[in-house]
Parts: sequence; C-alpha cells; structure tokens
Amino acid sequence: MRHNRLLAACLAAGLALIAGCSSPTSGTAKGNGNVTLTYLTFETPSLTASFWNSSIANGEKQVPGVTIKDIVAPSTDRDAYAKQLQASGQFPDLLQSITPSTFAQAGLLKPYEQSWVNANFMLPLGNAYKGKVYIPPTNSQIIPMVFYNKTLFAKAGITGPPKTWAQFMAVCAKLKAAGIVPIELGGSDSFAASMPLTGILSADILGKDPNWLQQRYAGKVHFTDPDVETAVAKYRTMVVDGYFEPGALGVSYANSITNFTSGKTGMYMMGSWFLGAVPKATASNFGSFMTPTDDGSLVVPFAVGGSMAISANTPDPAKATAFAEAWSLNPANYKALIEGDGAFPMLKGKTLADYNVNVSQVFKDSYAYVLAQNTKVSAIGWATNDDSMPSGLNDDFYAAAQALYNSGDVAGQMAKLDADWNSATH
Amino acid sequence: MIARTRRRRGDPAFTALAMLALGLYVLFIIVPVIMSGWKSLTDENPLMAQARFIGLGNYREMVHDDTLAASLSLTLMTAAAVTIVANAVGIGFAVLLNKTSLSFRMMRTVAFLPQVLSGVIVGFVWRYILAQDGILNHILLSLGIIGRPVSWLGSPDLAIFSVGLVAAWVLTGFTTVVHLAALQSIPVELYHAATVDGASRWQRFRRITFPMLAPGTTISVTISLITMLKLYDIIVALTGGGPAFATQSTALYIINLAFTDDRFGYASAVAMLLLAVSAIIALSVTGLLRRREVDL
Repeated sequence: MRHNRLLAACLAAGLALIAGCSSPTSGTAKGNGNVTLTYLTFETPSLTASFWNSSIANGEKQVPGVTIKDIVAPSTDRDAYAKQLQASGQFPDLLQSITPSTFAQAGLLKPYEQSWVNANFMLPLGNAYKGKVYIPPTNSQIIPMVFYNKTLFAKAGITGPPKTWAQFMAVCAKLKAAGIVPIELGGSDSFAASMPLTGILSADILGKDPNWLQQRYAGKVHFTDPDVETAVAKYRTMVVDGYFEPGALGVSYANSITNFTSGKTGMYMMGSWFLGAVPKATASNFGSFMTPTDDGSLVVPFAVGGSMAISANTPDPAKATAFAEAWSLNPANYKALIEGDGAFPMLKGKTLADYNVNVSQVFKDSYAYVLAQNTKVSAIGWATNDDSMPSGLNDDFYAAAQALYNSGDVAGQMAKLDADWNSATH
Repeated sequence: MIARTRRRRGDPAFTALAMLALGLYVLFIIVPVIMSGWKSLTDENPLMAQARFIGLGNYREMVHDDTLAASLSLTLMTAAAVTIVANAVGIGFAVLLNKTSLSFRMMRTVAFLPQVLSGVIVGFVWRYILAQDGILNHILLSLGIIGRPVSWLGSPDLAIFSVGLVAAWVLTGFTTVVHLAALQSIPVELYHAATVDGASRWQRFRRITFPMLAPGTTISVTISLITMLKLYDIIVALTGGGPAFATQSTALYIINLAFTDDRFGYASAVAMLLLAVSAIIALSVTGLLRRREVDL
C-alpha cells in the first residue's frame, strides 16, 4: 500500500514536471475580457530592460485589459529565437523587429490594416512583404553609412568627404600615409565584418538595378556575374591595400565603436544606429556620407521597420493589434529610439522637432538622406521587405565577408553564395 | 553487503526513486533521440506545420555536404587534441597537487575552478583575453615576444587553436580532479617498497603511478572526448563559429541548420550522425582503456 502511494506520488511529481515544461508561453485569454500576451523583445546597450519595461507599461495603460509578458531573446538574433519558440509550441503573440518574410510564408503572422499604416507612416509600403505590412514602418536605418572623423581628415590633408570611389580610395591612401588607420572594422562580429561589402554591393549592384535581389530570386542574375565580382573585388582591394585596422577580424563590434569614437581610426562603415553611440561631447567632430559609387551618383542603402509583428494565432487579435499600434505611435518610444538607437523616425507629417529630441548635427545630416528625394535601395541582408534574403543567407553573406578578408578567392566565395542561395530556396 | 543491496531492491522508496529516475531518463533522453531519428527521415521545417517523409534523403545529402565535412573534421580534430592535452596536463597537475597541506588543497580548488564556470562565461572572458587589443597581446607585446598584435580570433587557424586552448583550459580542471582522486587510491606502501628497492622518482611514476591511474584515465578520457564532441557553448561565446565558419563545430552546425536555415529534418539527421560517431568513439576508447586496466 505504502509502495503504491509512493509510486503514485512520484508519478504525480513526474506529470507535474512535464506539465510545467510544456506550459505554453503564448498568450491566454481570460473570461473577464482581459488577456495576457507574450511579447518577444531583445536588449542592446541602447535598448535596455528599462526601455522595454516603460514602453510596455505605456502600451498597457493605453489598452485596458492587456497584460504583457516580456520574453527577452538571449541574443540579438530574434529570428532564430522565434523559430525555437515556434518549434516548441511557444510562438509569442507579439514579436519585435523580426524578419517577417520567413514567418509570413508559414502563415504565422497577421498583417496590419493597410488603412492604418497609410494614415500614419511616410513610407507605408517601405517594408511590405508581398503587398502586406507585418511590421509597422515606424523608423528607418541606412545600412551602412560611412562615418568619418573630421579632425583626422584635416590632419591627413583631406578637405571633405569623397563622392566617387576613386576619391574614396584616395582618402584611404592619404589617411594611411598620415599614419592613421583609414577604416575601422569590428570583424570579430560577423555582421559588422560584412558592412563594407554590404555598402559596396548596395551602391554598385542595387544602385544600378534596384530589383537585383528579385532577379536573383528569379535566377536571372547571380553572385558570380562579372559585375558582382568586380564590386566584391573592390572590398579585396581595401583589404590588400591595408585600409582596415590590422587584425580586424579579431576586433569586436563593441571595441570597433570605442576605437572609432576615441579617434583611433579615420572612418567607420556601420548602420546608422551607430549615431546613438556617438559621444555627445565630440559629436561635432563626426560626419557621414554614403558608400561612393564609381560615377559619384548617390545611392542610399535603406531598411524600414522598427516595431512588432503580430502572431496570426494570438488569442485576442483585436487587443494584440491595439497594443502593437499604440506602441508603434507612442512618442516616448520614438524619443528613446531616436536618441539611443539612432533610429530615423518615419511618422507622417512630423519633423524632428516634433519628437522633442536632443540629437547631434551628424544625426540631422544623416537623417536628411532619408527625407531627400534620392536613389534608395534595399540594404542587402537588412531589408525586411520583398528584398529580404532567404533564411540562412545572411549568415552565409557575413561569412563570405570574413572569408574574403583572409582570402582573395572572390570567384570561389561568390560561387559558394550562389550555391547557398539555391539550397535555401529549393 | 549483498543482503543490504537486496534489502534496498525490495524497498518501495528505492523502487520509486529508481522508477522516477528511469522515467526521467526515458522522457528526456530516449524519447527525444527516437523523435530526432524520426524527424531525420522528414523535411521538417520549424515554421511549417506539415513535414514530408523523405526516407533517407537527408542522409544521402550528408555525403555531399562540405560544410558538414568541415565541421565534423574540426570537431574530431579538436576533440582528439584537447583530450590528449587536457589529460596530460591534468595528470601533471594531479601529481603536483597530491599533497595534504592547506595551500595545496586551495590550489586544487583553483585548478578545478574552470570546470565549474559556465561555458558561455568562459567563452566571453577568453574573448576579451584573446581580442586584438586583449590582455594576451598586451602581455606578449610588453615582453617583446611579438612585434605586433596576433589575431588569435581573426585568423582561421589561430581561431581553431584558440578554441582548443580554451576548451583544454576548462577540461584540465576536471581531469586534474579525476586523476587526483585516482592518485589518492594508490596504496602508499607501493611507493615505500619501491623507494626501499632504490627506484627513482621517474621510475616510481612510470611503474606505479601511471599504471595505477588507469581507471581514472578511462573515466577522464571518455568524458573529455564526449564533452568535446558536443562542444557548443564555448565556441558560440568565443568565436560565434567564425571567422567564416572556421570554428563551427558539428553541434553548432546542427543548431544553425535547425534555427537559421529552417532545416529541422536535416539538422536531426546530422544530430543522429553525431550521436553515432560519439557512441562509436566513446565505446572504442572505453574498450581500449579498460583493456589497459585489466592488464595491470
């Protein structure tokens, strides 16, 4: 009898353990009309836990009956974590800054009402995927910009930012001759290692054919095409000529920011979020320009996004949407994102002054590229619209950039990218 | 002793605990392995509800997968090298620390410390040490050993070496403790007799210590190998598998296949391969080392 009781207790404990392990983290609706929704977020030095807590609290106040349970991704790779959660039956109700294409294809996301998007944002279809908006285009980034140190430029006898590729190379040569490392590269973090290649390909390839990525999906163009290999060879030239920091693949992204902002290197190719890391005291010493093209035409590698996607299976789509919309229009969130994360706001009918932000001149000058009429193309590997790359290709692209730092086999790396692309899309 | 064991076997509490342990083992080890085996025969994608049965398609694909070959080669190479180094150094440390005074006991704790640290923490700490402007380069530069910073994590070959170095550092804590325990089970009388017979220190080590360490070495080598074959956390924190996938272990490749490339089915097939390789190696090595124990 005692034996049976013990066995029953152990069985109950085991079942409780299993139940605990399989308890879903996705939202739950309660009988009284209240709902608890799960929200996948991520933390960075500028988007801290405190930012998320206050932005969530503001959203909860605006939408009565909603309680948000914050799920923080263990790294900045939200997509991979969202996939892990989906695989274990715990797909969140709201997902911040994911790449919608992968999830939308699987029917996991609910699109926003186009009329609401049209009414509120400057580029309503800026990050639309197959004609539908899964993440409100609240803000934008230019990826990459070329930031430069005005003092070091003057020290090397450079009068202003270059406009053509030849001038850019001349600037690098002058900086090097003056004993200054021309370009900072935090190559230990693979996304940062890929910035120069992203800039060159966006300028040279997408600048000439903005539909290049769509053509690649259709199999009409390839990475092994001569124009692509010629563009990639420019990056190799920069490596071979010693224009990056020595041992750059051993430099972390965090250290690359410190190195550049402390005046150790002349230029830095990075996403415009770097503007959030520019020290206020020395901000006037920094300027920005776009990756130059051969003929000097201006090409802006652009990506729009900034808010959250909504799960198609959320228990209360109306409240989830209401929270997401409230969050996407909240002025306090814009202020934090602009000042801390260098985000370029995209709300319709607003100027920078309307956000009550304290930003540097280099931020204002950089934001001017967004507001101006110019050639904007999807930033390769960063755009989350129809031009987003197939699953896994971003990592392969980053790896190619790292490999090309150590090897001159441009054709081999491009052939590998084509093979990876074909494998990912078949 | 036998009577006591029999009494335990008949004890309902013992039976219940054994059943619970067995249940948990089946639930968390056996069932996932069976599920993984099944998934390896499908084209499952973590985002899609439906998966197609494709038979041995994933296994056939593995034959032509250069990335898998590279990751498996890296995993096997580092597993072998690190196991040898960690156990050789562990035996050395064990012999040096096999004293009873307080200072030696404290040093044993220090030697074991890397083993109790999380692999992620270890990876991040060493990432700072081995960075281009990290502590190691500063020390080597200030001593005049190198003329300019060494790219420990940026050059593919050195990055592989760095991963091995850090893994060996962590495992040495474990191998030291295992060999210390084995050393302390060696009867002191053997050393006394050998000393009386005029055996030198080296002869005592070679003829008594080393052979008598065999049971400890079996455990230490086997666990070191298994740890290295599934190495993931240190690599993720130290190099992220880079540069350009040069330090991507098979375990990391499995995770990337599943959650970056959305290829759950293929990732499961690679996981089954890794399981088979690990089992074969562990069983072979254990068998070989056990034979050495029997020969004593």
